Amino acid sequence: MLTMIGITFREGLNRKVLLISLVLAAIFLGLYGTGVHYAAKSFNESPNPMLASVVYPQLLSFGLYFGGFIVSFLAIFSTVGAISSEIETGIIQAIITKPLRRRDYVLGKFLGLGLFLALYSAVFFTVIALIINLKTGLVLEGQWKALGLFALQPVVLLAITLYGSVVFPTIANGVVMFMLYAVAIIGGMVEQIGWLINNAGLQQAGIVTSLVMPVDSLYRKIVHLLLSPADNPLNALQQMGPFGSMAEPSVWMVVYALLYVVFFTGLAVYSFNRKDI
Amino acid sequence: MDMAIKTFNLTKKYGTKIGCAEICLRVPRGQIFGFLGPNGAGKSTLVKMLVGLLFPTSGKALLLDRPLGDTGVRARIGFLPENFRYHDWLTGQQLLEFHASLYGLSGTEKKRRVGEVLELVGLAGRERQKIHTYSKGMRQRAGLACALLPDPDLLFLDEPTSALDPIGRRDVREILVSLRASGKTIFLNSHLLSEVELICDAVAFIRQGKIIRQGSLEDLQTGDITVEMKVGNLTREMVNTLSSLARSLEVRENVLMARVKREEDIPRLAEAVVTGGGDLFEMNRKRSTLEEMFIRTTGGGEEIC
Ligand SMILES: Nc1ncnc2c1ncn2[C@@H]1O[C@H](COP(=O)(O)OP(=O)(O)O)[C@@H](O)[C@H]1O
Ligand SMILES: [Mg+2]
Repeated sequence: MLTMIGITFREGLNRKVLLISLVLAAIFLGLYGTGVHYAAKSFNESPNPMLASVVYPQLLSFGLYFGGFIVSFLAIFSTVGAISSEIETGIIQAIITKPLRRRDYVLGKFLGLGLFLALYSAVFFTVIALIINLKTGLVLEGQWKALGLFALQPVVLLAITLYGSVVFPTIANGVVMFMLYAVAIIGGMVEQIGWLINNAGLQQAGIVTSLVMPVDSLYRKIVHLLLSPADNPLNALQQMGPFGSMAEPSVWMVVYALLYVVFFTGLAVYSFNRKDI
Repeated sequence: MDMAIKTFNLTKKYGTKIGCAEICLRVPRGQIFGFLGPNGAGKSTLVKMLVGLLFPTSGKALLLDRPLGDTGVRARIGFLPENFRYHDWLTGQQLLEFHASLYGLSGTEKKRRVGEVLELVGLAGRERQKIHTYSKGMRQRAGLACALLPDPDLLFLDEPTSALDPIGRRDVREILVSLRASGKTIFLNSHLLSEVELICDAVAFIRQGKIIRQGSLEDLQTGDITVEMKVGNLTREMVNTLSSLARSLEVRENVLMARVKREEDIPRLAEAVVTGGGDLFEMNRKRSTLEEMFIRTTGGGEEIC
């Protein structure tokens, strides 16, 4: 299985997807850094602590939101054909006929890609947190937990996309996974609106989508972890808008996300064990 | 005899379509076994079941006395898939090291085997090149090298020479013959009879998923003997005599093709022509080659390249 982890990891580094994501990340972080820099500069020139304490957190959530977007993009693209494309090209034929259990092939893929994605997103998170911290002096609570959750986001997508890669052809899998991801994103927004206008129907729709695809609720949880000192009177304002999190997802949502990962990875192994290649 | 492969009514259906049906094979250890049939006959289907890519619909099989699905025994089995494709962003060396690791080789043994198989398949000196710069023939050699890494006791090759030029084909034949000399068993899928005929000890013919004939090369080749004669002054009477001697007789103007059962029948044919007043200009004994038999048993007309 170590061999599979190794080759998968190396493959991840070799793919064009990585290059694209790195370029995207560089552009994004560059723009983001510049934006934060000028925002901080203008607040330094004409101090307005009230406004700053609303705008800075919003800047942070914005960064994490789109950062999560890029990381998720990478997760789906690098996993979408992890198994199906090897079946389609036939590469797999010389691999799973080796003294290697099919389970180890799938788990090797999962761990190799998971390691790669978790590292990528951890670096991404750290850069955003550093930009915010250095430029605005905003003190972030629960950074480590948030970093863990941020790295968990692509792993959630990895698990279900890997399962998809066992049962669907590559293209179909890509379509399905992007639709699921879009559902999660829209569901998350709808839920925020639901809390804003206090509409239980919208809130429930959001909850249902986060059960189907828990990525977005992980993001909301991260925002809460970072910006939610209990006695902060501005909390409501900080969490307003599509990138905020008006209702904190419970710890159970995190547990659910972990179980989700375990479930779909297990399902991938189960289906692959029975699959004709 | 000690068998490397035994299959019992091994069957694979793709939905309702038959891949191969009720295959019963015995492949003795230390032999090169040719599995022959036209395209789409079910050769790859059988091999894929044996190496664990496909799950049989029914039936059983033993490889080196272990049932299908035993992953441990795969350390002693090499497989070259038909549509060989490898991680072509690796170099030849890296590819082989990866496959060696999958076989559980490590350290100096891995290094040693990789060097040996590179030498064996004639890729030594090219191992620093990336696979995607290899020609088709070189890739096939690289694939064969991967299959040979564990020094396997049993080797499955699915159309191993399809991308090779005649020299490459001869090289592969030589490798296979030397492997047999060291006691290995080789299962060779092919639609190219000329290939198989030269090196195989035994063959099975498959058509539309069913085995239609199998046996050792010698057994299969001692069938009828075909004799071709060029005769002048051919009379109806003479043809009648010849027909009664031969199992079948074909007449095309002054050329006769007679199939007889035994060698002793050949001089009788000559005698019949001479005593019947004919002039015997030419008489050739044609060996029933595997190819003729292949065309006969598979009904000809199929895509035989
Ligand atoms: N995955 C599959 N699904 C449906 N039919 C298949 C599949 N693979 C092979 N077949 C069919 O099974 C038959 C045998 O194929 P195959 O074993 O590849 O033949 P060969 O290797 O002798 O050329 C063919 O008719 C082929 O069309
Ligand atoms: Mg085939």
